[in-house]
Amino acid sequence: MRHHRRSATLAAGLVAGALLLAACGGSSDTDDSASPAASGAASEGAAAGGEGQAGGTLTILSPAEQLLTLDPQVVYTGEDLAFLGATIQRSLTAYQVAPGDAEGTTLVPDMATDTGTASNEGKTWAFTLRDGMKWEDGKDVTCADVAYGVSRQFDVGLTQGGPVYGVTYLDIPTNEDGSSQYGGPSSGTGQELFDKAVTCSEDGKTITFNLNQPVPDFNYAVTLGFSAVPAGMVAGEEYANKPMSNGPYKISEYNKGKGGKLVLVRNEFWTPESDPYRKALPDSWVYNFGIEETVADQRVIQDSGDDQFAMVQSLTTASLPIVFEDPAFESRRIDAFDPYTIYAAVNVEKVPDVKVRQAIAVALDREALLKNAGGTFAGEYADGAVKPNIGIDYAPTGLWDGLLGQPVPGAGDPEFAKKLLSEAGLSELTITVDYPQTEDNDKAVAIWVESLKRANITVKPNPIERGQYYGVVFQDANEIMLGGWGADWPNASTVIPPLFVQGWNLSRVDDKAFNEKVKAASVELDRNTQATMWQELNKEAAQQMWIIPTRFGRDQRLAGSKVGPIFSWSAYGSFPYPIMYAVQ
Amino acid sequence: MWLRGDDEVSIETAPVAPADADAVAGLSLRQLAWRRLKRDKTFIASSIILIFIVLVAIFAPQITALLGVDPYSLDGTSIDDSGGKPIGPWGGASLEHPLGVEWGTGRDILARLLYGLRISLLIATSATILTVTLGTVFGIISGYARGFTDAAIGRFMDLILAFPFLLIVLALSGAFTQRLTDLGVPEGNASRITYLILVLGIFGWPYLARIVRGQVLSMREREFVESAVSIGAGTPRILFREILPNLWAPIIVYATLLLPTYIATEAALSFLGVGVLPPEPSFGAMLSESVQYFTLVPSYLFIPGTVLVIVVVAFNLAGDSVRDALDPKAARQ
Repeated sequence: MRHHRRSATLAAGLVAGALLLAACGGSSDTDDSASPAASGAASEGAAAGGEGQAGGTLTILSPAEQLLTLDPQVVYTGEDLAFLGATIQRSLTAYQVAPGDAEGTTLVPDMATDTGTASNEGKTWAFTLRDGMKWEDGKDVTCADVAYGVSRQFDVGLTQGGPVYGVTYLDIPTNEDGSSQYGGPSSGTGQELFDKAVTCSEDGKTITFNLNQPVPDFNYAVTLGFSAVPAGMVAGEEYANKPMSNGPYKISEYNKGKGGKLVLVRNEFWTPESDPYRKALPDSWVYNFGIEETVADQRVIQDSGDDQFAMVQSLTTASLPIVFEDPAFESRRIDAFDPYTIYAAVNVEKVPDVKVRQAIAVALDREALLKNAGGTFAGEYADGAVKPNIGIDYAPTGLWDGLLGQPVPGAGDPEFAKKLLSEAGLSELTITVDYPQTEDNDKAVAIWVESLKRANITVKPNPIERGQYYGVVFQDANEIMLGGWGADWPNASTVIPPLFVQGWNLSRVDDKAFNEKVKAASVELDRNTQATMWQELNKEAAQQMWIIPTRFGRDQRLAGSKVGPIFSWSAYGSFPYPIMYAVQ
Repeated sequence: MWLRGDDEVSIETAPVAPADADAVAGLSLRQLAWRRLKRDKTFIASSIILIFIVLVAIFAPQITALLGVDPYSLDGTSIDDSGGKPIGPWGGASLEHPLGVEWGTGRDILARLLYGLRISLLIATSATILTVTLGTVFGIISGYARGFTDAAIGRFMDLILAFPFLLIVLALSGAFTQRLTDLGVPEGNASRITYLILVLGIFGWPYLARIVRGQVLSMREREFVESAVSIGAGTPRILFREILPNLWAPIIVYATLLLPTYIATEAALSFLGVGVLPPEPSFGAMLSESVQYFTLVPSYLFIPGTVLVIVVVAFNLAGDSVRDALDPKAARQ
């Protein structure tokens, strides 16, 4: 899923094409770090144990000017998936809400009665739906609604930038250019192909997906973009602002921009019997937009009045010493690894020579970058795209410990970089770094400039308005782009293919041999064999330096004293929204 | 009723006579003004401060080299490893870094301040000169020509004033900076600085032009202008030799107010991402970043803030003194 920290601001009036991609903005800071420490998402302090209390209002203070989208087929940032999934959008399966890496990423049923049944060697998946699920207008949530939601993934113009596992995996023939022969519900072309791939049983209780390849973990994929939309409802771009809810809450107010807010109130048609997954304790949720980061931090730190029920999804580096040096905050703060790897993508169309890419990476002062991002609070050096908290798909690549021929210290090795450059037949180089402009990133890029200068590499900064960042760099990129990516579920199939084959391929990698190996790993049914294959591919990608992994990110948060429980939900690196409550 | 015409005419006719004639007649306006200024302690003090600041800005590279500080080099040893906070009070102030270091990178604040001052003053001064030139020329033409020319210039000024300045500046920055690069301005900061100077000047001149136009309208009916016309002086001479010298007071006052405003505007624009590129320091970036760390390292805000206040106050005081000296009607004890 996309990187989200310090969320993006969507400027009004973006050009259409750029809009949805822009959504993914997120500030990408850069860095890395080398200790091979285990990746425990150690959440500090779970407040006030027990079951929690019903009633009250929980408030989120956000610097963003809006949620990037509310469209269930487009939502793709971890924080939004967690929040909207907890409140207004149910999916077939979901992740258990519990502290701990393994517990927090265990798949549990949501709209389905179990986590799905595979047959036909993993090429057919069936989910049986629960009884009594209702939309906010009182109508039943049907199998056709789920199918309709999935079909919207094929509406390319509408859901650009969203997760497209349905398009990737459903058994629908493709055209020669690789596009699907089904054009989505609004165009209607090839509707019969979709209806064959996604079928509802006679009694409307069971939905079956026919896939084009064995997908052993398809039941994880349905947590993304497989949410229902009322069948036949005209749901165009406006649906991103006013989606129909089938969760315990519904939207009562949504105003964007500074001072705007999203207010969720109870959906009276929702029943706990139809939804054992969500506790739905508070009476309402309020998402406040456009609050200056430092102000938001201060309000939660002060913890007075209604701010006792408030929370911030990130802390500025200036707030970290205040929050983490004072034990008074122990029960209210979170410091945990998030799902994201922070990296700098290298555009292989502009830097085709692997030696040059390596030279850039070797010269980079990752230590300064890490310090600038917050030191130990920012995480640790990354050695590849795959992050340790993914589980068995991770193995150390040794990227900085000799994979490039000799070890590279955190501060970089200008002499080694010069050597690599000269092997590529160059004595100097000029590159441009694209980055979403924030004060932290301005400093990070200054570190790029200074550290690469030591190896005769001139860096030109190219700041881009952060709301438009991804829209711009997907269309037209310079040599380096700062970015971040996190796994969609605990399988490197959600990291390596999107980053280096298709999906979030900022680096424009197109390596036929690599693609073949990725394909083989994707369809491998034995999970341990598959893990070994991913580990090898991760190592190869690291050595190719298509991305310069700088940091395995950590994330700090703070909540008011009357918010519970407070821990990091590993699946999304977010607050545990589905079970949160306001202490009365 | 007080007969106002006399004293005004007596002074305003002074520039009519060429400088050499003045020597015979007594003191020219300029000499009178200079004599008054020399006696004005406020002016002397503020001028010394301004000259000092300008010199410091111009010789920033030499000064920082002398002090052994550098605005770009990173110093990981002066910040801690959990949060990037400077080690020690006052932003890690020490002999090595007299005013402390930047949060997260350990770059020297003093050096960045001096380099930032340099860029801010360059932009603000150039933009002020551009604004004053455009505003004066168009104001005089507009006020003196009247009729169609006046109307045309007036509507054009309205048009510029009606533009949402900030929006246009932000929206055009990419395309315009690129165009400047295409026109031969060096890529990067040179283009960005040129862009800033141009937009500040282009959007700033109508305000001054309106003031100047008003002055010219009242002045063109005066006797000294009529007499110049009657002895056959050409329009350019009347505009720039007869009328312009009488406009210096309002123009100088306006300029001294404008320059600090431009320093602040430059700070705001660089906060919005139109300013200079990193790693180049700027006042705007320093000030906007300081807000985040204010409770922990107040000196981040106070250091550039104090310098900014000194520059602004010094300019305003100097401007007031010059105005008083040039304007004989001003109440002087």
